[in-house]
Amino acid sequence: MRSLARFGLGLILAAILGGPALAQREKKDEDFSKEKPAIGEKLPKVSIFDAAGKEFKTADLRGHYTVLTFGCLT
Amino acid sequence: MKFYFVYKTLAHPELVGSYVQPFTIEERLAHARQADKQLGATVPWIVDAMDNRLKHALGDRPNSEFIIDPKGAVVRKRAWSHPAQVRKDLEELVGKADTFTREENIKLKLEPPLKAPAPRGTMPRLQRPRMQAIVMEPVIEKKGLPFYAKLRVEADGPLINRGEGQLYLGFHLDPFHDAHWNNLTSPLKFELELPKGAKFEKAAGEAAKVKASSDTDPREFLIDVANWPVDLPVKLTVTYSACVGERACHVVEQSYVLRRVRDIDGGGARSDGAGMWKPEEFAKQSLASDKDGDGKLSKSEVRGLMLPHFDDFDANKDGLLDAKEIEEVARWLNTHHAPGVPDKPKK
Repeated sequence: MRSLARFGLGLILAAILGGPALAQREKKDEDFSKEKPAIGEKLPKVSIFDAAGKEFKTADLRGHYTVLTFGCLT
Repeated sequence: MKFYFVYKTLAHPELVGSYVQPFTIEERLAHARQADKQLGATVPWIVDAMDNRLKHALGDRPNSEFIIDPKGAVVRKRAWSHPAQVRKDLEELVGKADTFTREENIKLKLEPPLKAPAPRGTMPRLQRPRMQAIVMEPVIEKKGLPFYAKLRVEADGPLINRGEGQLYLGFHLDPFHDAHWNNLTSPLKFELELPKGAKFEKAAGEAAKVKASSDTDPREFLIDVANWPVDLPVKLTVTYSACVGERACHVVEQSYVLRRVRDIDGGGARSDGAGMWKPEEFAKQSLASDKDGDGKLSKSEVRGLMLPHFDDFDANKDGLLDAKEIEEVARWLNTHHAPGVPDKPKK
């Protein structure tokens, strides 16, 4: 189960991006859970970019579990 | 299983490294590459489009997190990233990991934020009231020069809601262009083209002259507005001189269209004069994570930027961050210093 060892690393990196001490909560988590996309709904199909600037389609996130974490430099 | 960080619009412009909102996808891609270096991450980035479509589609939060199953369905979601909970989620969905890696055991190679190419602190920062970003569209010419200085526009509540209040105009040098003000020429000037019926305290402004030949401080203005009809945009034209290195100096004229509408993607600025951390308050908030009640934070109790820089912040090297050390974290965040390496003004 090598893939699971990788997700351990991924979680740590998400923690670095997370930094709740540096961000303020705007809405409660309960509000968020009611918003779309709801649990069970498909991830919206959106075309964005990979790190090299090539097209990246969320519709291609199939065939495996995916963790998406939003973040930015500040 | 795959992991992605999604690079989005800045949640807190001007905080740490003086980063400002990018204007083009090329600039946002540069942000993502820099984030890679600063975080030392091996998780790949994907980058939201400049219309912030993925952020909007997934709930408009600064640090939200989703788990998608192999059929493309959202099976877990939360407004704030919570690694420990993600681990539990994945154990439920996929099974337990063969090995368990802890945050404190990972040695990431982190790079500091981009450094300004010229001194800061030569011009006092404008202390502005609580404001929110409003919509601002740069007029980008295909063969034009980069926006070395980027406009940030904010308005107070009364101005946004009723058209009468205060407007902030801040021209911030983008560290990604490595440019500094050329103070040997005329200072930055701007002009506003006001629509019919709009009443602004002034329709033009000029920055104060700075004695130093170069610096990277923002040029800021607060304007009282007596009336700004909501459906009528204001055009702003700015002229400034900036240099990249010692020889590539440009006189730049660039334009923007401003709209009296809150920009939900503008983020909340954090800098001197705008949302700076108060060290004591920051320490108090951080110490809410003190699980063992000893009044200090261990590596297992910190999150975010404090973790990879923990050893630098631990001044007395006791393996713990006390309140005073945490207050120094806030001061570092407020002044964009690399830990232990304070900026020194050039003589």
